[in-house]
Amino acid sequence: MSVVLSVRDVVKTFGSVRAVDGVSFTVRRGTITGLLGRNGAGKTTTIRMITGIFLPDSGSIEWADNPVNANDRVGYLPEERGLYRTMKIVEYLSFLAEIKNAKTTTAKIEQWLRRFELSDKKGGKIEELSKGNQQKVQLIGALLHDPEFIILDEPQSGLDPVNMVLVRELLQELRAEGRTILLSTHMMAEAERMADDIILVHSGKVVLSGTLEEVRNSFGRNTLHLDFEGDGSFLAELPDVRDASIQINSAEIGLKEGADPQKVLAASIGRLRIRKFELAAPSLEAIFMDKVGAETLENLQ
Amino acid sequence: MNKMFAVLKREYLTTVRKKMFVFMTIFVPVLMAALFLLPGLMVARGIGTKRVAVIDGTGELRSAFTRVNDQAKPDPKKPLARRRGAELPQTIDVDYIDARGHANLKETSQPYLHRISSDDKATKLDAVLVIPPDAFEGPEAKMTFYSRASTDFFTQERLARVANKSIQLRRLSKRGIDADAVDALTREVPIDGVQVSKSGEEKKGGEGNFIIGFLFAALLILPSFVHGVEIMRGIIQEKTDRVVEILISSMSPTELLTGKVTGIALVGLTQISAWLLMTTILGSFGAATAMLAGFNLMQFLRPMVFVYFFVFFLLAYFTYVCVYAIAGAVCNTDKEAQQMIAPVSIIMMLPWFMMLAIITNPDSNLAVIFSMMPVFGPITMFVRTLVSDPPVWHILVSIAVSLVTIALFFKATAKIFRVGILSYGKRPTVPELWRWLKVA
Repeated sequence: MSVVLSVRDVVKTFGSVRAVDGVSFTVRRGTITGLLGRNGAGKTTTIRMITGIFLPDSGSIEWADNPVNANDRVGYLPEERGLYRTMKIVEYLSFLAEIKNAKTTTAKIEQWLRRFELSDKKGGKIEELSKGNQQKVQLIGALLHDPEFIILDEPQSGLDPVNMVLVRELLQELRAEGRTILLSTHMMAEAERMADDIILVHSGKVVLSGTLEEVRNSFGRNTLHLDFEGDGSFLAELPDVRDASIQINSAEIGLKEGADPQKVLAASIGRLRIRKFELAAPSLEAIFMDKVGAETLENLQ
Repeated sequence: MNKMFAVLKREYLTTVRKKMFVFMTIFVPVLMAALFLLPGLMVARGIGTKRVAVIDGTGELRSAFTRVNDQAKPDPKKPLARRRGAELPQTIDVDYIDARGHANLKETSQPYLHRISSDDKATKLDAVLVIPPDAFEGPEAKMTFYSRASTDFFTQERLARVANKSIQLRRLSKRGIDADAVDALTREVPIDGVQVSKSGEEKKGGEGNFIIGFLFAALLILPSFVHGVEIMRGIIQEKTDRVVEILISSMSPTELLTGKVTGIALVGLTQISAWLLMTTILGSFGAATAMLAGFNLMQFLRPMVFVYFFVFFLLAYFTYVCVYAIAGAVCNTDKEAQQMIAPVSIIMMLPWFMMLAIITNPDSNLAVIFSMMPVFGPITMFVRTLVSDPPVWHILVSIAVSLVTIALFFKATAKIFRVGILSYGKRPTVPELWRWLKVA
C-alpha cells in the first residue's frame, strides 16, 4: 500500500519545552493508523502541524500526491469541541462544508444526522446538545465534505459505549471505502480493535511504530491471557512470572525467558476455575505500560 | 475566495440576527436624539415653571413683571432670535410685591426668602429678586437674586434683563422720551451666522451645524467601537471553543481575517444605512418643523456629506476593527482583552474628545494635522468636510493615509493572527508581539 503522508524529523518547541522532538512516521493509504501516547506526549501538537495549524520549527510534512489544496481533502476532528455554540446544527454543518470548498445539501446533512441518531435535534442550536452529541456533530463536520484523509483527535472522548461502537463501525466502514484515517487516542483497547498501524509517542519522540501485529509480536508470544473465577492475586508470586497485571476475573501475565506456561496452569488448578487460557503476544496496553509507564514511574522515584 | 465568503456570510448573519444588533439599530438614533436634544431643551425651557417673588423697592415696575396677555403663547413661527429679549418668559411665574416706601427691604423679603427653603409645594418659591428703591438713580444700586440653586443663571439672567429693560425705559421716559421711541431706538439687531464655501454657496445657522457635526461624528465612530468589540470577543470565543483550529486548518489566516473584517464591515454598513434612513425620515419631519422656525436643516446635509460619510465611515471602521481583531488574537479571555484594549480605545477616541475644538475651528492647525493622521484621520476629516470646506487635497491625503494605515494594520493583524490565535496561555508582551510580526 502506498504512503499518503510522510512526517520527517518534525520538531516543535514552545518556549523551553520541546513538545515534538524529531518525530518521523508514514501513514499508508487505506489504513487506520493509531497515534498513541499519554496526555502531553505530543500527539495533538503533531496533528496540529499535519493540519497546518502550526508550522514545524524544523522537519517536513509531505503529502504523497502533493495536492494544491491538501486541506480540503482532509477531515479534521480537533481534540476539544471546536463548535460555534450559538449556531444551529444544520447551519454549522453547511458552514463547515463551505470552508472546505465542498457542495453539500440539506438531504446529505440529514442523512448524516440520522446515522448518528440526531435527527430529532436538527433544528436546535449546538449549545443545546449534550457533550456526546456535540462530539457527534463535530465528527459529522469532519466527514461531511467526503475527505480522503481523516484526522481524528480523541474521537471517542465523551461518548457512551453505544456511540463508541457506532464510531468504531463508521471508521471501519470509511477504511473499507479506501479512505485513510489517522487516529489519536489514549484508549489502547480501542486502538487495538481498529488500528492497522501503531505509532507510540512519548515525550515528543516516537518510541515504537509498525503494524499492530509487528509491534505485538516484537514483544514475543510469551504472554498468558487468563480468564478465571476466584482470587488470582497469588499469580504474581509464581516463580515463572516476570510481571502480572491482575484484574478481578482476568490476568495478563508476562512469563520469564524459557518459562513453561503449563506450570502456571498447574499452579492455578484447584485454586481458580479457569475459563480461558491463551498464550499470545502482549496486549497493546501491556506494551504501552512497558514502554511508557515504567519510564514514568522511574522518573517519579 | 469561497472560504472567505463563507466566513463573511457566517459573520454577517450571526451578528445581524443578534438581539443586540436589532436593539442598537432601532434605539441608538432615538437615544442619540434624546441625548443631544434633551439637555438643550432643558436649558432652554428650564425644567418646568419657575416661581419667583419680585420685591420691588421702587414700586414702579409692576407692568414689566405682569403679563399683558396671560394667554399669549410663544409663536413657534417666530424665530427665537427675533423675539424681543425683554419679554417675561412663559416659564417664569412672578409674585409681584410692591415694596415702595418700605424702610427695610431686607425685612420685607425675609418671609419670601424662607419660602425658598420651604417644603410646602403650594407656597414654595424657586427664587426671590429684590430690586432696591434707588434702582433708577443710585449709581451704586444693586439688585439681588436669591435662589436655591446658585447655578440657575438662566432665570437670573432673564429676570435681570426684564428688570433692566424696564428700568432703562423708565429712566428715559422720565427725561421725556416717548416709550415707543425708546423701544424703537434701543431695538437690538439680531445676528445670523453664515458659512461661505468656495463654491459660493451660503448656509446659515452655525449652532445647527455644530449639533449636526457632533451627531454625525458619533454615528461615524459608534459602530466601529461596538462591532470592534464584537469581532474581538468573537475571535476569543473561537479560540476558547477551538473553532479556530477548524478554520485555520481549512484556510489561510488572511482569508479568515478578510472574511471576518468584511463581514463585520457589512454589518456596520447595514446599521448606518438603517440609521441614515431613519434619520432621513425623522429628519424630514424635524426639518419641516425647523424650517418653520426659520432654520433650514437640509442646507447642512448636502448629498456630498453622505458620500463622505460612507467613505470615512469605512476608513474609520476598518482601522478600528483591525485593532480590535489584534486584541482578540493575542488575548485569551474577554477580561484580558478589555484591559488591553481600554487604553488603546482611549487613544483612538482622541478626536472625539477634541471634537469641540475641531468643530469650532475646523481649519486650525490641530484639526488639519489630526485629519491627516492615521487612525484619527477619518473622523476628523469627515467633521471638517461637514462644518467647513477643506481643500480637496486635504481630503485626498487623509484618505490615502487611512488606506495605507489599513493595509499595514491588516498585514500586521494577519501575521499576529497566524501566531497569536493559537498561542494558548499567557498574553504576549510587547517585545513578543514585535517578534511575532517579524517572524510570521
